[in-house]
Amino acid sequence: MSFEPKIVSFLCNWCSYTGADLAGTSRMKYAANIRIIRVMCSGRVDPTFVLKAFREGADGVLICGCHPGDCHYHEGNYKCLRRYKLLTKYIKQMGIDDKRLRLEWISASEGKQFAELANEMAETLRNLGPANIKDKLDFFQKTKSVNEDENVEKEKMEAI
Amino acid sequence: MEEPRIGVYICWCGTNIAKMVDVEYIAEEVKKLQNVVVSRNYKYMCSDPGQDLIIKDIKENNLNRIVVSACSPRIHELTFRKALENAGLNSYLFEMANIREHVSWVHTDRKEATEKAKSLVMAAIKRVGFHESLAKRSVEINPASLIIGGGIAGLTAALEIADTGKQVYLIEKKNSLGGNLAFVDLSFPDLSSVKQILDPKIEKINKHPNIKVFLNTEIDEIFGYVGNFETKLFENTKSEETLKFGNIIVATGLKPFDPSVIPEYAYGKLPDVITSIEFEKMLKEGIIRTKAGKEPKNIGIIHCVGSRNNKYNEYCSRTCCATGLKYANQLRDALPEAGIYELYGDMRVFGKGCEEFYTQTSRKDIVFMMFDQRNDLPKIKANTSKKDFNMIIEINEKLSGEELNIPVDMVVLMVGAQAQDNAKDISHAVGISMCGNAFYIERHPKLDPVATTTDGVYIVGSCQGPKGIIDSVSQTRAAVSRILGTIAKGSVQVEVTTAVVNEDVCCGCQTCISVCPYTAISFNPEKNISVVNEVLCKGCGTCGSACPTGAIRSRHFTDLQILSQIEGIMSLELEEV
Ligand code: FES
Repeated sequence: MSFEPKIVSFLCNWCSYTGADLAGTSRMKYAANIRIIRVMCSGRVDPTFVLKAFREGADGVLICGCHPGDCHYHEGNYKCLRRYKLLTKYIKQMGIDDKRLRLEWISASEGKQFAELANEMAETLRNLGPANIKDKLDFFQKTKSVNEDENVEKEKMEAI
Repeated sequence: MEEPRIGVYICWCGTNIAKMVDVEYIAEEVKKLQNVVVSRNYKYMCSDPGQDLIIKDIKENNLNRIVVSACSPRIHELTFRKALENAGLNSYLFEMANIREHVSWVHTDRKEATEKAKSLVMAAIKRVGFHESLAKRSVEINPASLIIGGGIAGLTAALEIADTGKQVYLIEKKNSLGGNLAFVDLSFPDLSSVKQILDPKIEKINKHPNIKVFLNTEIDEIFGYVGNFETKLFENTKSEETLKFGNIIVATGLKPFDPSVIPEYAYGKLPDVITSIEFEKMLKEGIIRTKAGKEPKNIGIIHCVGSRNNKYNEYCSRTCCATGLKYANQLRDALPEAGIYELYGDMRVFGKGCEEFYTQTSRKDIVFMMFDQRNDLPKIKANTSKKDFNMIIEINEKLSGEELNIPVDMVVLMVGAQAQDNAKDISHAVGISMCGNAFYIERHPKLDPVATTTDGVYIVGSCQGPKGIIDSVSQTRAAVSRILGTIAKGSVQVEVTTAVVNEDVCCGCQTCISVCPYTAISFNPEKNISVVNEVLCKGCGTCGSACPTGAIRSRHFTDLQILSQIEGIMSLELEEV
């Protein structure tokens, strides 16, 4: 079976979530890879949310907010943009391809754009393949605990 | 924290969800989860029996958390929150999973859709475990209202509210009241005088003790929230005045389409091609003449100018067909011998008495011709050969299938409606959204058609979408009744999903203060901590994600709630069912 990526997506309530709802009411069809989490503003998207999504096994993370100048809270999307830029650098250092994290502006009327974006991102990630971060981290944790166990064993031996 | 006892309800939404998502399977699956006490699926959760199901379960099974998996929370979150309240449970101990707009309506593979829906339900279950009871805050309503726009909608609103003894501030950007209608002679379908509708209203408003009119005035920025808004006005850029009010009606109307962008119609090039607005002026003055001062012998009326055509505006402007028929009637009265041609794509004369009006008009020796509105517009050309008419309309007449040349001396273009140029500025000032055509978006087209997503802000008339007098007035009265309702109550309950600072964890770095768009956070130097002013905070959560120590909690969108939602969403593999 071909690889189907998992995308966690954070949408601001006022524009982007409404845009995604519009895609629904207009019965537009798009790939089922994307799972949406509603936040009041893209400015609420804490970098830890993004990292957590990767940690839990997401292959991609999509953040959507209102277009520049349209944020319901004036400038939350600008704050998000700044964090996103830093975060892209950071995840690259961690060995995560920066194509796996996207920030896009979707207005309340852009249901079509949202559907296209969902398809496009799914396709990009299909080509990139799995992110495997969860597996890596799980493995790391396992080996760490094995090492710890070994150390404990060693200590015990020494004590004897 | 007490152990969560969760009730999960998966809605079929008739077949809307059930045909694409295996609701029964999901309800069975989530039963296995920790803390899920009840899990059901039901045809219509939002119906009374659906809500009663929740209320009964809460009481009988001692549930303290509820998840409803159905449509978008933007539609029914409030409905279900009320049900919780009715059962004596705090309404915030509730979470919705959107498996209709975000799943069943957009996906085509039942297995994938079911799997996705399941993961969204799991996410909601995980999240709701961390929900906390929140107390609503009640705010007093300032009984004054601000009305933006002095057209028929704004005028009606002003009088309706002011007549109940409440203060109204009416803002108009132009130097007179009446809006677009001030230039209209008769109204359809009864051919009654617009002056008789408009003038008494304007007269009354100008004398009304409870209405203050601001002409030549535009809105810049509005501060505050429902019940307690505030703005500064600059009338004629001279005097400055601060207004305080509890509710806002946006009635900014429409702008006529500019037909000079349609090459076929040669507007601006041929002097006797005029817009319906210009023709209306002639009718009002009672003199119908060509630019050369002659009485026209043949007149063409072209419908749908700039409307229902992807190149211009895709939507129908809703009033132009009936107005075009009105012109045929007025022309027939004024020029009994003239040839009158109605050129239309489709005749859309809906509404009470309007189809009858169409039938009556068609008996008045008017020639109706149909053209292809999307692909083959008629062409207006100057007539150079003969002298007794100055233009020719070339039309591929659809019903007869013939190519016809119609000699005319005057062409009236039935121009469509567009959003105002400053629609975006106003939307920012009052905090509402626009659709792709720059008309304002209502909270819900059917369930809440005059309210917006900002409490206390209502949209009426053509700023919400093109409409005639009848619809505008109905909408306006609907909004007025909403406002008078809140004024009568004296207070409204507002959301308390604001930010709070944990004093023990706050390190006093003041990062939150620098990111808050509402200056809602201040610094307490004695305690060396940040303090949130709950009245000013709007709950965007930007401070929460900037706080380096995790001292700030965005209520109802806490780190813990969102992180657990992520865990829930990811706790399933796509492939396995
Ligand atoms: S509300 Fe949409 S980005 Fe801020």
